Amino acid sequence: MKNLIAPLVLSLLATTVAAESLLIKGADIYTAKAVLPATDLYIDNGRITAIGNTAPSTADRIIDGNGKSISPGLFNADTHLGVVEVGAIDATVDFYSELSSITASFKVADAFNPKSTLFPHNRVHGLTHALTVPEAGAGLFAGQVALIELGQPAKVINDSVAIAVDFTESGVSHAGNSRASALAVLRQNLDDAIAFSANKAAAMRGDSRDYSLSLADLQALEPVINGRTPLLVKTHRASDIRTILKVAKDYRLKLILSGAVEGWLVADEIAAAKVPVIMDPIINLPQSYEKLGARLDNAKLLADAGVTLVFTGMDGQSTHNAYLVRQSAGNAVANGLDKTTAIAAMTLNPATLFGANVKGEIATGAVADLVLWSGDPLDVTSEAELVLIDGVPAAMVSRALQLRDRYYEAATK
Amino acid sequence: MKRLLPASLALAVALCITGCDSNKPTTTGPLLPNKNPFPSTYQIPSAAVLVIQNANLLTGANEQLDSTDLIVENGKITAIGADLAVPENAQVVDASGKWLTPGLIDVHSHMGVYPAPETSNHSDGNEMTSPVTAQVWAEHSVWPEDPQFEKALAGGVTTVQILPGSGNLIGGRGVTLKNVPSITVQGMKFPDAPYSLKMACGENPKRVYGSKGILPSTRMGNMAGYRSAWIEAKAYKKTWDDYVSDFNAGLDVDPPLRDLRLETLTGVLEGDIRVHNHCYKVDEMAQMVDMAKEFGYSIAAFHHAVEGYKAAPMLAAENICGVMWADWWGFKQEAFDMVRENLALVDHAQACAIIHSDDPIQVQRLNQEIAKAMSAGNRMGLNISHAKAIGWGTLNAAKSLGLDDRIGSLEVGKNADLVLWSGEPLSVYSHAEKVWIDGALRFDRADASVQPTSDFNLGILTEGEARP
Repeated sequence: MKNLIAPLVLSLLATTVAAESLLIKGADIYTAKAVLPATDLYIDNGRITAIGNTAPSTADRIIDGNGKSISPGLFNADTHLGVVEVGAIDATVDFYSELSSITASFKVADAFNPKSTLFPHNRVHGLTHALTVPEAGAGLFAGQVALIELGQPAKVINDSVAIAVDFTESGVSHAGNSRASALAVLRQNLDDAIAFSANKAAAMRGDSRDYSLSLADLQALEPVINGRTPLLVKTHRASDIRTILKVAKDYRLKLILSGAVEGWLVADEIAAAKVPVIMDPIINLPQSYEKLGARLDNAKLLADAGVTLVFTGMDGQSTHNAYLVRQSAGNAVANGLDKTTAIAAMTLNPATLFGANVKGEIATGAVADLVLWSGDPLDVTSEAELVLIDGVPAAMVSRALQLRDRYYEAATK
Repeated sequence: MKRLLPASLALAVALCITGCDSNKPTTTGPLLPNKNPFPSTYQIPSAAVLVIQNANLLTGANEQLDSTDLIVENGKITAIGADLAVPENAQVVDASGKWLTPGLIDVHSHMGVYPAPETSNHSDGNEMTSPVTAQVWAEHSVWPEDPQFEKALAGGVTTVQILPGSGNLIGGRGVTLKNVPSITVQGMKFPDAPYSLKMACGENPKRVYGSKGILPSTRMGNMAGYRSAWIEAKAYKKTWDDYVSDFNAGLDVDPPLRDLRLETLTGVLEGDIRVHNHCYKVDEMAQMVDMAKEFGYSIAAFHHAVEGYKAAPMLAAENICGVMWADWWGFKQEAFDMVRENLALVDHAQACAIIHSDDPIQVQRLNQEIAKAMSAGNRMGLNISHAKAIGWGTLNAAKSLGLDDRIGSLEVGKNADLVLWSGEPLSVYSHAEKVWIDGALRFDRADASVQPTSDFNLGILTEGEARP
């Protein structure tokens, strides 16, 4: 059993209680705005109270951070966490509605399962926050996006940080199966939401013309047409992105783009509209005709144009292995993106954009929501050694680790 | 410098394709089926002698050689060592501070049979019209212009095994390709590589056929389906064995009627065709092992072996490779028991551990997938070196394909399939800078003229623009 020293050490770390003071000495700190090489970090009662030479020299617990790094807790902005357990087992899949009367009003947070095994698995690898995004099942509108935290227990922080629309090739199949019909439907839906909002009392009495959406959906869209809640539109082709930018301008919507595989082709227009983009920088294949322009430096080109980036990833594993957003970010850096920008895209940017309960930044006074990495924060050979979520150290246990230890013990007896 | 092979190697290989087929029907022996009716037309391009100087080598055979030279002549590695003399007219590559590995091998790919864009017209990987379709050959579905191939090449992948999908109990023949641009699949076929047979355990076949109301709809149905096929194959093999012995006894006999389906299964029973078996779970692997013994064939590898760590002692004892992902899980119940230490634990049990992609995004960075699997093992204290881990995507992979005598390691006499990495190969920040296949430069990150692009991309990508 001598080989199990490392996991034992990790479980000791995990027993650190929030009320203790913790000093991590000499790790490289990636604050999400800058890099502070070999710097001390002091955490007291779950809060970052000092960084650098202002840090006290002693604490209840001291960790040598030499050769290690610290980043804010990871945030993956496009997952199904909490609303799926096993992809192929339909009974565990709650991230889409098949009812055409429940689209914009579809609230994934209502199906949220805090006991999902996906939470500990992602938590031990440094994921502290995520968006749980519904998929379109019966209309262009997929539903309401939830902001979640992977604390113990995992919980919904905000059940409606955005309303998602699917304007991809797959999404438009729910709206006449042509981009043109889908655009007409989208405009009609928004017009109806405006009309409904202006005649709400009459509409609720049943004293109005027919609408293209159910009353529940029209009500759900009210904060969108009022510009309070962002519309999060998944779309990829450059011309589709332009279409959506125009819709957002016409209706004065707060827009967030998602996907944007061909975003680099219209990067200046996205930047000029001040629209943030949720994207997976790993996608570089023409997987469909709307993604023919896919390229590995999409993130870099968007950032160069001044677009605010928010990351998801990696590819098809963005839920069960949502923590692999870090690998997608690393590949973006390998293909030209500035490292601090990459880290901000999975920490500070989403935390700010969606109003998280943490800053997404390593800063004095901030709640400690951070990860101590065994090496470079983006490299694939670095492991999370300590994870603090909203000030609380995460237990470094998961079903996968239990399975590992059970079979390793059996093999070494 | 030792020269192991004649300069005319390329020519010899080319001649062999048409001239060395001992199985061709002749009038003097029994009339046996041609085992190679779609021969490789791949040719090694002529190239100057290549000297790569001062690289850090991960040989693939659990060895790291720092600041070492490597010489390539006529497509083969002819010397490895420090400060080697540079032959006249050699092309010299200064690799100081860079790393050299064997070309990466993906033993589980559907490139060409499920190409990009993913449209139904090119969805040619699963002949889901009958649970046993041993008669189909993946190579007949490969679209050589699939733009995924060039991206895998840019990731250092030089050899790929293209397999049929897993919708069927027995999905058909797989084929091993060199990752070179070609307008025909024959131009990519790895000369004289053994064929493989794709079999599939578990959820997929029973779901596909259960939904059609025919066997198998259960795991017991799966087993009955394979066994019935092997019983047929045994009987078929006997008709040919009888024919040959009757012929050799001087009897005037006609050969039996060929059956493509049973011919492939017979190839497995005769040891010519290697079984690559999609199988996630340890309990099903154990049943496949028993069935292989029942019918007298061997299994080269279990693919998608998510429970490889549970099966590790059996894999070692039965000499079966475990082909695994670094971390995929949860998309199906049979993929629920994933551990990130899977490759490390299989390796720790002295079994053959292999990384695979099954995916056109991951095939582009098998080095990162290896790195994650190594890192997980090291975190639990297994002390896996980079030199050891790179073997999971090189020599072990070659072994499962029956090609470890030709590829998979940097050794004198082996094919010069090489990747020059900008930095440590197991880092997210490193790039494959140059990729050679049989000593010919096939990809150069710094030179757009050595970045192949498929016909599909013309007029879609901006002209002259190679995209990462």
